[in-house]
Amino acid sequence: MRALCWNGVNDLRVETVSDPEILNPNDVILKVRLSTTCGSDLHLIDGLIPTMREGDVLGHEFMGEIVDVGRDVTKVAKGERVVVPSFISCGKCWYCQHDLYSLCDTTHPKPELQEPLLGYPTAGIYAYSHAFGGYAGAHAEYVRVPFADTDCFKVPDGVSDEAALFISDAAPTGFMGADFCDIQGGDVIAVWGCGGVGLMAQQSAMILGAERVIAIDRYPERLAQAEAFGAIPLDYTKVDVIEALNELTGGRGPDACIDAVGMEAGGTGLQQAYDRVKQALYLETDRGAALRQAMLAVRKGGTLSILGVYGLMDKFPLGLLMNKGVTVRTAQQHGQAYVPRLLEHAQRGELTPAALATHRFSLEESPTGYHMFKHKDDGCLRAVFVP
Amino acid sequence: MSTAEAEAEADVATAASITIGKPAPELRALWLQPETQSRIWSHFAEVTPSGEQAAEWTAHGPAGGEYRWRTAVTDSEPDLVRWATQDGADVPNVGELKFRPAPGDRGTELHLDVRFDPPGGAIGQALSKLFHIAPREIVRTALYRFRALALTGEIPTTDPQPAARKGGEDR
Ligand SMILES: NC(=O)c1ccc[n+]([C@@H]2O[C@H](COP(=O)([O-])OP(=O)(O)OC[C@H]3O[C@@H](n4cnc5c(N)ncnc54)[C@H](O)[C@@H]3O)[C@@H](O)[C@H]2O)c1
Ligand SMILES: [Zn+2]
Ligand SMILES: [Zn+2]
Repeated sequence: MRALCWNGVNDLRVETVSDPEILNPNDVILKVRLSTTCGSDLHLIDGLIPTMREGDVLGHEFMGEIVDVGRDVTKVAKGERVVVPSFISCGKCWYCQHDLYSLCDTTHPKPELQEPLLGYPTAGIYAYSHAFGGYAGAHAEYVRVPFADTDCFKVPDGVSDEAALFISDAAPTGFMGADFCDIQGGDVIAVWGCGGVGLMAQQSAMILGAERVIAIDRYPERLAQAEAFGAIPLDYTKVDVIEALNELTGGRGPDACIDAVGMEAGGTGLQQAYDRVKQALYLETDRGAALRQAMLAVRKGGTLSILGVYGLMDKFPLGLLMNKGVTVRTAQQHGQAYVPRLLEHAQRGELTPAALATHRFSLEESPTGYHMFKHKDDGCLRAVFVP
Repeated sequence: MSTAEAEAEADVATAASITIGKPAPELRALWLQPETQSRIWSHFAEVTPSGEQAAEWTAHGPAGGEYRWRTAVTDSEPDLVRWATQDGADVPNVGELKFRPAPGDRGTELHLDVRFDPPGGAIGQALSKLFHIAPREIVRTALYRFRALALTGEIPTTDPQPAARKGGEDR
């Protein structure tokens, strides 16, 4: 089959690779209908995440049709149209049973690679380096999906392929980030980043009853989409974000701040120059401008919800969180806990993830798609691939 | 203990613990099934059942080294299983697995301890050089796989489909 392979930093190529097969009794094989780019892939493409290997098939956000079923699969069947969260979860362990699916205790084929870094291995994930399991990704004609009974969700009528696609990753991640904020009546939520994840966090915060949602980014098309979703847009290159948030919240500060930016955060001024030099020298992988700003902006006793992916960061202003009594919540997405609810919101038109699909490419053109996505050319919010 | 002795000790004794959400008798029965042993140690050795609670082990080292031994269960109690190599082992070793109740709804704790006696004595040859695997990985990975098997009936794998191409065969 054809698949998009990582060959090194900024070197992606579509190649012919072996077709996947059923390896374990709870596996299915999916014929991919759509897959998409995620901000997390940029960390891999930029070489900020170690343990990638030449030939790794990329892609962890996808939906498709089941074409082959392992002998122990009972809840889904051949021919069904399903969406699959990006973390592989067994549904049987203590973590899965406590809705902490991305922390699943049984799906990492190489726990010895990750345990020294984190203390305990996490769930395996598709196409996110060998330290995260080395599972082949979904920018391909077919993908093997383990634990199909837990990880495949039937897409109901009335939810398009494009809407279902983002319920694999961007939507559950954004929804989880809003859920972390424990939103009460009157709450103002500020979201840094208007990529797929940030936009979904904004829409989710509204679904969960936020009084007002403020969206921060620099790209006009992304800010316009945030505004179309009902958020108040702020361009961080044009206004002083802290002052603007102060003004918008009557001096209280947002009740919760969501970071949907991550380690490639852009910034302004000296701090940005300092962060960039250190990142270039691999002294630290993260620039962190957005996260620092969110920590300063959040009201006393408020919540900081971190969705952006980070590696190492020094000069982390921990005292700021402590003195302000901030609650920090963060995780890789526990998608399986949210997907059924998100499919219902999509069916009722309350969640509109298909708006993220600004550009479509054939699988053969996927390297061009990644280039556009990375550089945000032509207002590209997410590139969608059709195998 | 001198530093050198402490290092040698750390290199030959490998202990690890894991918690599994199942009752001890069920886990003990699964552990004692011969095919379980073959499946959970495959990152380290080929284990072939041979006779009543005994097994033949073959571990490979760097540069083609091959080591063989035979183990048999020496103690088997409700909360404990012990095994040991029999005479003629290339790398004599003893293993002990203890079952303890975990608090709350967490199931059972498994404490596994394997001690190797490499040829030439404890400081004769470092285990990691002998087997080409860090000693702590030998037991930790086995326990991880055992938990996966106990909870899900399968062991996570990407072989023979690693994400990366294998020796060019995926070209
Ligand atoms: N926790 C999870 O499970 C999970 C899942 C998916 C993605 N992520 C992470 O979420 C983050 C966002 O993902 P995405 O797909 O939306 O990425 P994206 O690259 O499309 O969007 C990131 C946005 O952040 C904006 N940004 C950069 N610096 C900023 C700043 N200082 N202030 C405000 N905005 C700033 C960029 O302009 C961009 O629009 C990434 O770090 C990604 O790795 C996490
Ligand atoms: Zn993602
Ligand atoms: Zn699990």
